Amino acid sequence: MRRLLWLSVLAAVAIAYPLLLSSPFQQRLGALVLLYAIAASAWNIVGGYAGQVSVGHVVFFGCGAYAAMGAYAKFELSPLFGIPGGIVIAVVLAAVIGVPTLRLSGHYFSMATIAVAETMRLIVTNTDYLGAAVGLSGPTVARNIFDLSFISSLPYYYLFLLVLAITLVITWWMANSRMGFYLRAIKDSERAARSLGAPARRTKLYAFMLSAALTSVAGALYAMMFGFVDPESGLGILISVKILIMAALGGAGLLFGPLVGAAILVPLEEISNSVLGGKGAGLTFVVYGAIIVLIARFQPGGILSLFKRRSKPASEAGAPHAP
Amino acid sequence: MSFVLVQVIVGGLLLGAVYALFSSGLTLVWGMMNIVNFAHGDFVMLGMYVAYVVYTLMGGGPIVGAPLAVLVLATLGVVVYFGLIRDIMKGPMLAQILGTFGLALLLRYSVFWWFGADFKSLPQNIVGGTYAVAGLRLEASRLLAGVVALLVTLGLHLLLTRTSLGSKMLAVAEDATAAQLMGIRPDTMQAIAWAIAAGATGLAGALIANFFYIVPTVGETLGIVAFVTVSLGGFGSVPGALVAGLLIGVIESLSGYLIGAVYKDIVVYILFLFFLWFRPQGLMGKM
Amino acid sequence: MTFKLATRLLCAAAMSIVLAGGAQAEDKVVKIGVILPMSGSTASIGAHAKAALEVATDIINNAHPELDKLPLAKNAGLAGLGGAKVEIVIADNQGSPATGQNQALRLITEEKVVAILGAYQSGITLTSSAIAEKYGIPYLTPESVAANLTERGFKWFFRTTPIAPDFVRIYDEFLTDMKAAGAKTDTIALVHDNTEYGASVANTIATGFKAKGRTGVIDVAYAVNATDVQAQVLQLKEKKPDVVLMISYTSDAILFAKTMQSLDYKPPMLLADDAGYSDPSFIKAVGKLSQGVFNRSSWAVGPAGSPSAVIADMYKKKSGEEMEDTVGREMQGFFVLVDAIDRAGSTDPAKIQAALKATDIKPEQLIMGYKGVKFDEKGQNVLASAYIIQLQDGENYVSVWPKGNAEKAPVMSYKGW
Repeated sequence: MRRLLWLSVLAAVAIAYPLLLSSPFQQRLGALVLLYAIAASAWNIVGGYAGQVSVGHVVFFGCGAYAAMGAYAKFELSPLFGIPGGIVIAVVLAAVIGVPTLRLSGHYFSMATIAVAETMRLIVTNTDYLGAAVGLSGPTVARNIFDLSFISSLPYYYLFLLVLAITLVITWWMANSRMGFYLRAIKDSERAARSLGAPARRTKLYAFMLSAALTSVAGALYAMMFGFVDPESGLGILISVKILIMAALGGAGLLFGPLVGAAILVPLEEISNSVLGGKGAGLTFVVYGAIIVLIARFQPGGILSLFKRRSKPASEAGAPHAP
Repeated sequence: MSFVLVQVIVGGLLLGAVYALFSSGLTLVWGMMNIVNFAHGDFVMLGMYVAYVVYTLMGGGPIVGAPLAVLVLATLGVVVYFGLIRDIMKGPMLAQILGTFGLALLLRYSVFWWFGADFKSLPQNIVGGTYAVAGLRLEASRLLAGVVALLVTLGLHLLLTRTSLGSKMLAVAEDATAAQLMGIRPDTMQAIAWAIAAGATGLAGALIANFFYIVPTVGETLGIVAFVTVSLGGFGSVPGALVAGLLIGVIESLSGYLIGAVYKDIVVYILFLFFLWFRPQGLMGKM
Repeated sequence: MTFKLATRLLCAAAMSIVLAGGAQAEDKVVKIGVILPMSGSTASIGAHAKAALEVATDIINNAHPELDKLPLAKNAGLAGLGGAKVEIVIADNQGSPATGQNQALRLITEEKVVAILGAYQSGITLTSSAIAEKYGIPYLTPESVAANLTERGFKWFFRTTPIAPDFVRIYDEFLTDMKAAGAKTDTIALVHDNTEYGASVANTIATGFKAKGRTGVIDVAYAVNATDVQAQVLQLKEKKPDVVLMISYTSDAILFAKTMQSLDYKPPMLLADDAGYSDPSFIKAVGKLSQGVFNRSSWAVGPAGSPSAVIADMYKKKSGEEMEDTVGREMQGFFVLVDAIDRAGSTDPAKIQAALKATDIKPEQLIMGYKGVKFDEKGQNVLASAYIIQLQDGENYVSVWPKGNAEKAPVMSYKGW
């Protein structure tokens, strides 16, 4: 009951935010928070719930971004048409990547995903069809509403909010299904889960594919909003790290963790850049880095674990387990 | 085999030795404490800046710069261990990524703030020119780095396998609680491991500075190479890092010469992925 | 505790934005937004450009009779706007097209700038100018060379810098003259990175050279921020091209110079395409290993007392660095933009746009070696041009081509170290 109350408050705040803070920059900030929350929530399925720390999720992000821009640049279609294509490519790619790499445990899985992501970035950088290093741009002047090229950030905001809601519902449904149960068991101990009859490898693969599909949608939305993708902004390892950090900072494996992480990090990044960036002394990142270090140091389970610990017995609070 | 190809391979081996040199510290902490240090490349960068400061303030070369870099970085290693690592080690792997990534930004942009973003460089030939041996060109500064890489690898290997300090460190790595029951203090051992690892990384930075450029973001370029080297060699295996480093150096050089430089990193990554498929524990790692 | 800290910081930051936003109500100040890389691996360029723009602002806002040939320098402030002062608001693009666009939006809607100058990297210029186009704010790029920027049908976008087709013309004429003077120029190696700048410029030059009958072009590509370039230098050593044309950023330029020395490779002629070779840190780091390198530049100091020499002095006092092409182009673009605002006599974007379109600046009114500034219907400066300069002593570039502008005669063979 109390949970429902909190949920409706959260929804009300999310819907009302751009109407209350109506400057274009604040609205865009809100849209960006939601966008990164979508990507981080998608990552959360495999990185948080299944405990498989992928540092290569930008590959799927790039699938969506390139599919959306490609639909326009190559076929003069609305970038929206790229979304299904991006999802298909991402899911197939996830299967191809996942089958060999999900056998690996811990750091080796992370390293393998980094290597895959860097390989993809380098391949695209040298592929002329995909614009090579120059990248692909979207419609510069909107031909119609389906080009999704707006002056105001409001349409983006509500579109992202809708997609985020869908992502969270899927995540919630998954977490409470048999699959979620298996994933939690695998996260605690893969060997134990397998001996109890959980199909570990297949479940991880499904989670990986689902996560890839949703990440691809985030990538497509990102490219539509900025109207551009190039190898660095669509496939750079830094995007992977950013997504991961948002989820980890808010609380990985918790439904609202990624949203909280994005709601802290995106404004922190943009506002510290706005205030300090022009001086060119690098202070933006000194502040940004210091805050991340402090959170990791004092709240290693993420911000949300603070509240979790209060409302639940300590044993259940996603207790940090020995590596 | 053509003569140029020999020069390419020799160049690759020297490059690989450098990769091994700046990876040995990473493999030590990664293997011993199972910790991912995303700030590793920035430790190398700090070592380079120590060498740069030593040169600009005192005109000193690597004879002064390298030991000082070891000292400064080892101290920093201990500070980082007690200030951050000791606590995030107990958390999930994600907290380690979060903490060390934040640390990377903090270090990188503190240097940026102090020294600015301009590219710096030590004078060419600060170590002593280039030798021509049977027509092969060997740069003294790279040779020095290569020799030191071998010595550091040997030293770390002997430390871990032949000394009581090494066995204590390994005991902590194996099972900290059991080690504590036997009277070994895990905290001390791990702090020592961080001091050694950071010191070796600083040494690497100070030696690379002799033939590379110095800039606050240089750690980004070098960090990812160290990651691949360490995982290819096997987490925690110091000799593994050496073999992996040499291998990557030669593969990069050869593919850069034969296929084209824009593809050399792709070749390395794809070989790495293939390799993981057959031997997921790395070249010399244990299962 | 940390959460509280973060909240506090956010509140403080948000407040300062509001305060900064409120300050713009003051009249007689014209705000111009500037987007530059102030962090990341190209941050040194941002830092230098910032110093250059501060010098330019000083020239505009204060009386500088010694520079009376330049528009706006003689009097204090903008005569067209009743002596209004110019203020620059610099934003960091962090090397990201997304951040660049966010900052463009902030500059337009929060800082209320009347025009934007930016954004160095072409990809970022692309995304940030799209926002300016939507809001109807003039956007001028003094630096970005990607061809597609002026092919988008934008009405608010202008570019003062020469672009790749101009480079082809300049290099072709230069090499023809060098050949007449006795140099061999039959085979040309294009050494370039795989970034948008390196790949697209190399591509345009290769096609352009072919069209002009230069067939001996060898392509040597490498990945940007390389850890090692020995293989490329050995390739060059083996293929023995007559001319090596370097299209590289500072990091790789330094590494190439060091590696060429250690592998003892000296091409007969080394020609650089601006970028890294113009960076003062390149000269400080490896100038002594690169004596005799030719470089493209629209900047030349000129005789003592000339406007460019005076400005070079002011810039050196401000930043401690020698003036060079990259910051010079930044400064020139800024002057062109402010001149248009002055002629518009208004901060109304449409009037500034019309003034920019009517721009017709003569060579003697410029600090850079353009043949003037005049925009075509796409917004490209059709009179953009460049000189060839040479690092003869390893410390300072001198202009050596074209003859009419040369301080010294070109030294033919590449000396190296």
